[in-house]
Amino acid sequence: MASIGSEVAWTVKSIERIGIVKYQSEPLRDALAAEYALGTLQGSARRRFERSLKDDPRLRRLVTDWQSRLAPLHALAEPVQPPARVWNAILDRIQLASGRRVSPASRGFWGSLTFWRGAAIVSALAAVVLAVSLTTITPTKQPPQMMVVVMSDQKSTPGMTVSWPMQPKGEPKLRIRVTGHETMTPDQAWELWMVPGGDQKPVSLGLINTDVEQELTVPRQLMPAMNQAWGLAMSVEPRGGSPTGLPTGPVMYKGQCVKL
Amino acid sequence: MASLPAADNDAITELMARCALRDQRAFAELYRQTSAKLYGVAIRILRRQDWAEEVLQESFVNIWNHIADYSTSRSAPMTWMTAIVRNRALDWLRRPNLERGDEDYDLLVEALPDDAPGPEALLGMSRDARALADCLKQLSGNQRQTIMLAYAHGLSHGELASHLKEPLGTVKTWIRRGLDRLRGCMDGKIN
Repeated sequence: MASIGSEVAWTVKSIERIGIVKYQSEPLRDALAAEYALGTLQGSARRRFERSLKDDPRLRRLVTDWQSRLAPLHALAEPVQPPARVWNAILDRIQLASGRRVSPASRGFWGSLTFWRGAAIVSALAAVVLAVSLTTITPTKQPPQMMVVVMSDQKSTPGMTVSWPMQPKGEPKLRIRVTGHETMTPDQAWELWMVPGGDQKPVSLGLINTDVEQELTVPRQLMPAMNQAWGLAMSVEPRGGSPTGLPTGPVMYKGQCVKL
Repeated sequence: MASLPAADNDAITELMARCALRDQRAFAELYRQTSAKLYGVAIRILRRQDWAEEVLQESFVNIWNHIADYSTSRSAPMTWMTAIVRNRALDWLRRPNLERGDEDYDLLVEALPDDAPGPEALLGMSRDARALADCLKQLSGNQRQTIMLAYAHGLSHGELASHLKEPLGTVKTWIRRGLDRLRGCMDGKIN
């Protein structure tokens, strides 16, 4: 250990002097990632390190690991309520960037357009955002871990969230949180559907209940399709579920898949 | 409150998914739930309210613009957001001719003797926090103090040395060895 320590010490010193960086030795890479996450790597050494982070996904991973190890130290900072002007400034900046202003007064935007049209616009935009960020900003090949679907009613109010690990270890289970306050009558059933997108028909995933927290097991062979699906929908069906194998009742919640 | 309870983490992940779909109301809720904590982090490092406000603003604009990148970070949502705020704050301190506030590091850790009940009481009881607290206890008092000071206040090696009145080389060694032992200890706990 002593020799690794002195090698690191020596190399850090020479980096500070020379300024050319090729972080090749693994202990050195990890030591620098640690001091970067801690915050003690400062000044020009920090800038150089950040430059090499850009095209070195494995180095980024070392940093993330250290950030996670040190994360509980957040507790050393007491929460302090920021003044309201901070939020106003943030809102100004993101609305300016998006080219339109959505103030609480103009919230009718969401209600006035039909939900389906609105959802299509939003999802097209989101698809672009996701595609751009996944392909250009992050060249890493790591597959995303979780799929999250926030499902909303026709007024875009979220009422239900479904998430699942994209590569489940055991049998595939959807985690479902029902947060809306709709009620189900005894002669009704709530049926969850995978919406593949395009011209393909929805595929039934099974019946759910009104519990806030619940799980639904899906057949393993459905997972590839689930991980590529446009989204999910939940329809109100007669007791026992749809008699036709396709949604027959009104869609209560619907939402698009997001990889997180 | 060390890391958020699992339920809150799930709620924040959901909000982030909605933000990725450009839902500004979800973003407002994300801000409501996390801004006080993140502002606290910025204030600790910058020790000036006006700077901390700027950094918080920059950070949240950044979070909004890059929220889809979160998928590749593989860390808890608060860890990801805190890293953005800390980086912004440290960037801010890098600007030339800055005068930070007085060196009033009111940290509880400074008063910690080697055998104090310290870290776990400070960091809370989540599993990750407990692992870190246990491992921090295995460091020497000097190693622990420098690491916690550096993290909480964003101090450089030089600032730590002058604050602790120790030679620069000594402080660097404490940190380097401390981090090395910390990793060994924590990896042992997880695997």
